[in-house]
Amino acid sequence: MNVILDLGFILLAGIFLAKFIRKMHFPAVTAYLLLGIFIGPSLFNLISPGIIQISGLVSNIALGFIAFSIGQNFSIVHFRKIGRSVFWISILEACGAWILVTLLFYFLLRQPFYISLLFGAISAATAPAATVMVVREYKARGIFTDTLLGVVAIDDAWCLIIFALSFAVAKAIYFHLSGNFFLLRVLMKALLEIGGAFILGGLMAYFSSLVSKFLRTPTELLVYTLGFIFLNIGLAIAFHLSVLLSSMVLGMTLVNINKSSFQFFDILKSVDSPLYLTFFVLAGANLELKLLGQIGILGMSYLIFRIIGKMSGAALGAAIAKAVKPVRKYFGLALIPQAGVALGCALIVKANFPEVGGMIFTALIATTIVYELVGPICTKFALKKAGEI
Amino acid sequence: MNTALVLAVILLAGLIVPQLIDKLKLFPRRFRFKIPAVTIWLLIGIAIGPSVLKLVPAEFNKVSFFISNLVLGMIAFGLGQNFTKSLFQKVGKVVMWVSILGAIGPWLLVSLGLTFLMHIPMHISLVFGAIAAATAPAATIAVIREAKARGYFTDVLLGVVAIDDAWCLIIFAVSLALARAFLQHMAGLNSFFVLNVLVSSLKEIGGALLFGGIIAILFMKLSRFARTAAELLTFTLGLILLTTGLAIFLGISVLLTNMCLGAILVNLDKASFTFLESLRIVETPLYLIFFVLAGASFHLSFFLQLGWLGLAYITLRALGKVGGASLGGFLGRGGKKLTRFIGWGLLPQAGVAMGAALVAKSVLPFDWGNMISTIIIASTVFYELVGPIFTRIALEKVGEVS
Repeated sequence: MNVILDLGFILLAGIFLAKFIRKMHFPAVTAYLLLGIFIGPSLFNLISPGIIQISGLVSNIALGFIAFSIGQNFSIVHFRKIGRSVFWISILEACGAWILVTLLFYFLLRQPFYISLLFGAISAATAPAATVMVVREYKARGIFTDTLLGVVAIDDAWCLIIFALSFAVAKAIYFHLSGNFFLLRVLMKALLEIGGAFILGGLMAYFSSLVSKFLRTPTELLVYTLGFIFLNIGLAIAFHLSVLLSSMVLGMTLVNINKSSFQFFDILKSVDSPLYLTFFVLAGANLELKLLGQIGILGMSYLIFRIIGKMSGAALGAAIAKAVKPVRKYFGLALIPQAGVALGCALIVKANFPEVGGMIFTALIATTIVYELVGPICTKFALKKAGEI
Repeated sequence: MNTALVLAVILLAGLIVPQLIDKLKLFPRRFRFKIPAVTIWLLIGIAIGPSVLKLVPAEFNKVSFFISNLVLGMIAFGLGQNFTKSLFQKVGKVVMWVSILGAIGPWLLVSLGLTFLMHIPMHISLVFGAIAAATAPAATIAVIREAKARGYFTDVLLGVVAIDDAWCLIIFAVSLALARAFLQHMAGLNSFFVLNVLVSSLKEIGGALLFGGIIAILFMKLSRFARTAAELLTFTLGLILLTTGLAIFLGISVLLTNMCLGAILVNLDKASFTFLESLRIVETPLYLIFFVLAGASFHLSFFLQLGWLGLAYITLRALGKVGGASLGGFLGRGGKKLTRFIGWGLLPQAGVAMGAALVAKSVLPFDWGNMISTIIIASTVFYELVGPIFTRIALEKVGEVS
């Protein structure tokens, strides 16, 4: 079985499974993930290891595309409408999850503070990919949708900061390091990663806009757009900046400086489906199902506490921003999916905390499986209740 | 440089450089023609490859493998779709004559030329001759697409580059068998061996037809599920990947299998053109990457090892191709213009030739095998760079450029 055969099979099986699962009122993303789990090393191991190896590349590219397309929603005009809600909701849902998980782990489950802090920090992360796909599939439209897209995008920046802070403090506690200097350094690093991403995305947008008037055919437009997005992703990886954030900033800046920027986004939409399909199937294939059994008390608690934290934080944020009722009631539900960013943080934890790192990592992978499968369905539910599907 | 960055450079350079070069207007008005993007892409590839800038990391091999095979599959599929009954009626005869003589021509000329002029042993010349028959469709098709060429000449050219692969398979099989027989001096075993090898090449062609056919039926049965444009694209890509992957897995020709898929499909269901259309939008970026990567795999140092033998090979092949094709055009009554220029579109040589060279290398004694391989690779570089230019000129001369 070679990579090409695997991919052909994935694409075809993906289309049909999605159609099938849609009849059961599940979003297509769920079909892709299930397909991935099914054919991956966890279950039937039908696909070759070669394709698992390129998962990293596929996911970086797919995330870049997704973040770029989210950026389209951030035109100044648009932002005036939803800016307040997005800001308040995103900050409070991220902090809500962070604080609730940390405190409950510490007081209720009697875990050492630094472990609680690590779990808390990772709980703040939300995965935008699945959410964006659900919105696209059901063609959701309205204030709830716009706010949701804004929140899942910006929320990554908050998570980076929260994680940097918590990681530094946890490390200081665990290794008995002298606090302040270390904390500042890690915080600076996080801010640099975010700031760098903004600068990179902005610069790329500016340069790409300069030459864009010379593009004549749709083909040229496609090659050009792809080229710049890849350039952005590649540079972000090379400079250790957030691919998600810089791609989003690229899209965001473009939509504000270039009146005909819609053509970039539209042309991408015409070719990205196979990529997203593959991305989710591979994500599913990378989930180790057997770890579900090791989820344990910690994992279950994490699952529940995070959801409560997200929902209450979001509701509070919505109330402060005086958002419309559906947003206030159902927003948190749409923020359940958790994936890549969380796993990335979990990997860092595993690498830096020798004894407990492995346990934290395992628990997190297990919860990610649940979140990935359940999340999109909750998002769909929330969108429906808000009347935007 | 990471993979994303390399892809970015390839895409942006491949887009901008051809446009820049166009504006430079390099040749005096009389001889001016548009340098095909294919050649520029190949040059970009050589520039960023191991010979010059060394920008491509080793990890890129996987992407290379994937894209080359995918694009070959797409090209072959598109080619196959040309085999409609109406096309056969229009150009079938000419295509047959041109393709057969266009394959035999170089085979004979190179085999005989190398034997008598360069004093190479007959069996080695035969192998060279067989490889000389091969033509690579990719570059020719890319040039035709870029020129938006349309007309009788174009149709014939497309038909020839498609079918020609089948003839080459047979010619190569026979030559290799003969060469081996010469080596082993077993006159008695000769005919049996030739038959054996002939049968195995027929099996390969048959296999391609069989699998192409099976997947074509699958295509048709399942196609009603793909309704939106996005689904259509995914579906078509999926099927071509499936076909290509299966061909690689079974060891049969990727080109032939996809071509059979396209051909059978277009004759079973007229509406199948929509599948090809859905691919159109992604074709150019993929072709671009394909040719740049092809260029990046060239080691310029090979050029230096061409020597007289290599030059003789290149010259004899060119003469054989153009001559044989022209004769075929004449006998098939293709018309004056076609007879003059048809051979010009058949010069590019690439993958098939190199694959054949590798097979030869494994069958023949070390020295000869190595030498054949080196010369073929070097001449392939030459033909891939120069071939598209001649194709473009030919298309312009017969007036079929839009």
